[in-house]
Amino acid sequence: MISSFPVLVEPQHFDIAEKLVFAALVVGSGALFGLRFAPILKKILASKKDPDFRLFPLGRRVWDFVWEVMFQAKVIRQRPLPGLAHAFVFWGFCAFALVTLNHCAVGLDIGFLDPQGWFGRFYSYLAAAFAVACAVSIAGLFVRRFLVRPRWLGEKLSWESGFIALLIFLLMATYLAAFAVPEASPTSRVLWWAHTLCLLVFLPIIPHTKHLHLVLSPVTVFLSRGTFSSIPPLKGDEDFGLVAGTDLTQIVSLQSYSCVECGRCTEHCPAANTGKVLNPKEIVLGLRSYLNELGPSSTEPLLGKYNSQEAVFQCTTCGACEFQCPVGIEHLPILIGLRRGAVNTGEWDNEYGAKLFLALERGSNALGMSATERDKFVQKLELPIFDGSQEYCLWLGCMGGYDPKGREIIADFVRVMRHLGTSFGVVRKEKCTGDPVRRLGNDLVFQQLAEANLETMAQNKVKKIVSICPHCVRTIQEDWKEYGTPPAIEHHSEFLARHLNQLPRIQGQEKIVFHDPCYLGRYRDVYDEPRAVVAAAGDLVEAPRHRERSFCCGAGGGLAFLGEESGERVSAVRAEELAATGATTVGTACPFCNTMLRDAFASKGSGAPQLLDIAQLTARALPTVTDPTHN
Amino acid sequence: MSGVWVVLEERGEKISRISWEAVAAAQKIGAQLNLPVGAVLPGAQTEALAAEAATKGVAKVLRIEHALLGTYTADAFTIALEQFVQKERPDYLIFPHSYQVRDYVPALAARTGQVLIGDVTAIADGPTFVRQLMQGRLSGTYRRAGGGTCFVSVQSGAFRADPVAAGAAAIEVFAPTIDAASIHTKPGEPFRGSAQTVDLGSAQFIVSVGRGIKEAENLPLVQELAAALGAELAASRPICDNGWLPIERQVGSSGQTVAPKLYLAVGISGAIQHLVGMKGSQCVVAINKDADAPIFEVADYGIVGDLFEVVPALTEAIRAAKQ
Amino acid sequence: MKILVAIKQVPERDAQVHINSAGKWIDEADMQWGLNESDAYALEEALQLKEKHGGEVVVVSAGPERVGSTIREGLAKGADRGIHIDCDPGQLDALGVAQLLAAAIKSESPDLTLTGLQSDDLGYGQTGVIVAELMNLPHASLILHVEKTEQGLTVKRELEEGWFQTVELPLPAVLTIQSGGNKLRYATLMGIKKAKTKEVRRLNATELGATAAPVVTLERIAIPQKQRSTQILSGSPKEAAAALAEKLKFEARVL
Repeated sequence: MISSFPVLVEPQHFDIAEKLVFAALVVGSGALFGLRFAPILKKILASKKDPDFRLFPLGRRVWDFVWEVMFQAKVIRQRPLPGLAHAFVFWGFCAFALVTLNHCAVGLDIGFLDPQGWFGRFYSYLAAAFAVACAVSIAGLFVRRFLVRPRWLGEKLSWESGFIALLIFLLMATYLAAFAVPEASPTSRVLWWAHTLCLLVFLPIIPHTKHLHLVLSPVTVFLSRGTFSSIPPLKGDEDFGLVAGTDLTQIVSLQSYSCVECGRCTEHCPAANTGKVLNPKEIVLGLRSYLNELGPSSTEPLLGKYNSQEAVFQCTTCGACEFQCPVGIEHLPILIGLRRGAVNTGEWDNEYGAKLFLALERGSNALGMSATERDKFVQKLELPIFDGSQEYCLWLGCMGGYDPKGREIIADFVRVMRHLGTSFGVVRKEKCTGDPVRRLGNDLVFQQLAEANLETMAQNKVKKIVSICPHCVRTIQEDWKEYGTPPAIEHHSEFLARHLNQLPRIQGQEKIVFHDPCYLGRYRDVYDEPRAVVAAAGDLVEAPRHRERSFCCGAGGGLAFLGEESGERVSAVRAEELAATGATTVGTACPFCNTMLRDAFASKGSGAPQLLDIAQLTARALPTVTDPTHN
Repeated sequence: MSGVWVVLEERGEKISRISWEAVAAAQKIGAQLNLPVGAVLPGAQTEALAAEAATKGVAKVLRIEHALLGTYTADAFTIALEQFVQKERPDYLIFPHSYQVRDYVPALAARTGQVLIGDVTAIADGPTFVRQLMQGRLSGTYRRAGGGTCFVSVQSGAFRADPVAAGAAAIEVFAPTIDAASIHTKPGEPFRGSAQTVDLGSAQFIVSVGRGIKEAENLPLVQELAAALGAELAASRPICDNGWLPIERQVGSSGQTVAPKLYLAVGISGAIQHLVGMKGSQCVVAINKDADAPIFEVADYGIVGDLFEVVPALTEAIRAAKQ
Repeated sequence: MKILVAIKQVPERDAQVHINSAGKWIDEADMQWGLNESDAYALEEALQLKEKHGGEVVVVSAGPERVGSTIREGLAKGADRGIHIDCDPGQLDALGVAQLLAAAIKSESPDLTLTGLQSDDLGYGQTGVIVAELMNLPHASLILHVEKTEQGLTVKRELEEGWFQTVELPLPAVLTIQSGGNKLRYATLMGIKKAKTKEVRRLNATELGATAAPVVTLERIAIPQKQRSTQILSGSPKEAAAALAEKLKFEARVL
């Protein structure tokens, strides 16, 4: 029965001349690959060592490798159809490893897989199945790149991609065709040589094209810093961030060479989508060009010819790029690193930026308000002062302490905590957590703020903080670690979700769309808690872009303080999307999102949905008591 | 004559209002210590001004007359006034706290071994002098410790000029010796700040309009108010977003930061982005329909009401008050 | 051009102030200190002049130990050297402080001396003018813009009510700088690191010659009664408007 299935036909008995030609071609192809790859490897290895790099623990690295490389999970999850096509090409390549090895061995008359034997037969069928999937996939990807032409792949058609696709297709075709030719026919020899030539042409093309990711990205994924937006500490007196080639670390260089130019980062970038100069893909490719032309020992500034300062300071640090990247590139440390280089050396000359920095060098808050304004608010709301006896330190933040709308959120959250009988207090000497200066790359001011706040926390023996601002939460929990041990902190969405069963619910069918703040979602992985709170207050609906793929409000990365944006406003685009859901209310969980969307809805005029923080949604169901803010 | 002397200042061919306020302060000290009050008028060809000063209830008017005092220079004024101090040995020498006084009186006082008690807002028994510290967050009470002339300058508006008594004083002339070579600085003609573009940053009066105005067609209402005040027109972000006013008139975090003497916010609710742009204003007035609008938190004066009624009424009232 | 900038350390704008037990000054324990605002503008002007014409910028400050951090701040922003005059300014009046500064500045014989218009704490606004007097140099006050010319300087001086004036004066000279004429630069990590290696010369008051006993003393301080609160003017639109105009004219005195 089995013999009725076609069998893979391999040519036999290569003469010495053929063997020599084959061996010479293999050596030539391998040498060409080596010649082209060696300088790249040298540049990566000649880059500065990452001062904070730790190989261990390995568990996380192995898991990332298996999940992202072997299972292609990120590739598939972010773009299911092309992702799956890519996965089949990848799996096809994996399946072909043994086939290719045997293929070469055959050329030297030492083939080890017997096409008639049970294993050889099984494996050749398995590989054939993958070959079909791979051939179909690569054809599909070819059609997508050259006929559908999605915007984020760039305007220029990449002919080398087309050529590579053709090679891959031919590799598969020549393999499959070998099942249909007669034993020991000259055709089988032609097919073998065709397959071989495809392979040997493919190999040297890899290093100078985006297909370098075949070699590098598994390493990149394995060696990545691993945690989202991990900003490395500056080491020594000469480290100011990414200033010149000498500041590029091995991981940054490795990542620059790994980019496969798929454009997922561009596709999701709020700046790139609203007509700004910034395109995260081009930032990475700019570094690659720098390395190619100047190398890692150059003292030429990184910002200039290859990347523009303007682009770097248009990033909202929403992290959509880093989150989506399938080859393990960490854009945020790169973008923030370039900002650090520009700010720590004083190269960045920006009126609004200087105003923000000066306000925080001197004062306590990013808004440049007098601290007495905060004191007045604390008195007006009769907020207890934290004395060590209360459970929570309520962190007001700049928005909660000074912004009229942020104050309303605090007032409502305080009502909820009072209703629950939770004990809390505020500290008098709270300063800005340093979030905007951290993201803008001002390490001097960030350090001053983090240290002053850590001291205040220690003096007041604060153990647990709750905050309405995801930016404060992130900065306190992760960024302050560079200068000490911060207290535990949670976002009010987590607090509210945990206490939902003790809180009254609203009976109603008001449609509420929830806007995921970047710093709560991608930065903290909190998606369900705020949704639970919203669902208790009305009918939760989702915007087209939500959860991990939510679209930024435009405020992050210090941009809320940098004046008017060029191009379309990020907030306007998001507001439009939220309004289009038909929801009558937009639920937010971040005072910055709130203020950005408020502005966007205000210029939209009447008919805009109302905007409420989750604390306000919750407080609406509470029995009415006299509200001290409206005395 | 020792006693109390006031140094008068000319502004636009008249004696400045703040000089009369200094006279009122001097009269207060004179009454307290039972000392005569004299007025000093440094300048060139000050006959007419002196005649006016002579009617203001001072015992004597002394014209310090010299051609080199015609245009103010710190050098000439310091030399002339020092000669006056040596000659008259006043117990108290009172100045209006003007930019001119700030420019030379500290040097004049130092030349006679004294220190100016500047920018005084009140005078109490003793006499002691009250002035602001820490940018108005504290007040300090000062007293002279040694002998000699006590130099004091008084803040604009701190003393009411109306109670200055009437009278008819003798006018005398004192001619100081000033060598032209001892004047080192060459002052130019005063000029107005650049008028070609909108410069909200240095505007003294600003009327700012927000979404409460509803339609672009209603803008003339606030323009008239601004004209009555001699104010620049500014706006919150939505107004500029809609293109009703050019972007350079936007006040707030993404626009201009302003610090005028008077900031009149019409139909502005007061989002933080707006507040950070105008929080340095000396006096804030808000007109808004919503009594809970955050702008009232930072306002010194507020009117809760319909701006379409309040603004025209206010324009009238301002015109009347300015006459 | 060698430029001396006299700077002062003052309580941070945001700092909470409490009156000390003697009632004569604020409680300085736990106080946060920073560079006086108009002095920051004076320093900025000096740095820009140096960038244009070359030379050296030296910051000088009088005060106790804590003043060192403000001198470092000046060095971090770009000054080349610092001079710290050790003294207790609480015991001195404006003339006493100016005498110390003038003595220290004389020893450097600079081409130009700059200082802020006035301090954010005591607000005398006299130090620069007295220093000029003591050094027998020409001066100009309330300066927003400085230009070096063949003969000396041309400066833009602020007058009242939106008027300005240009003044020419020879060098050496003393200028007091008004806030807002330039955009301030922010402090950078690189600046702070560089400042560590810059020289700060310490001088003490006796070396500079004894100063006269104060001729003016601050007897006591107090928190002013009037707090900023909103007065809502009620009545018909006409009545409210009239009341407002009245208040603006006589209470706020802005009309």
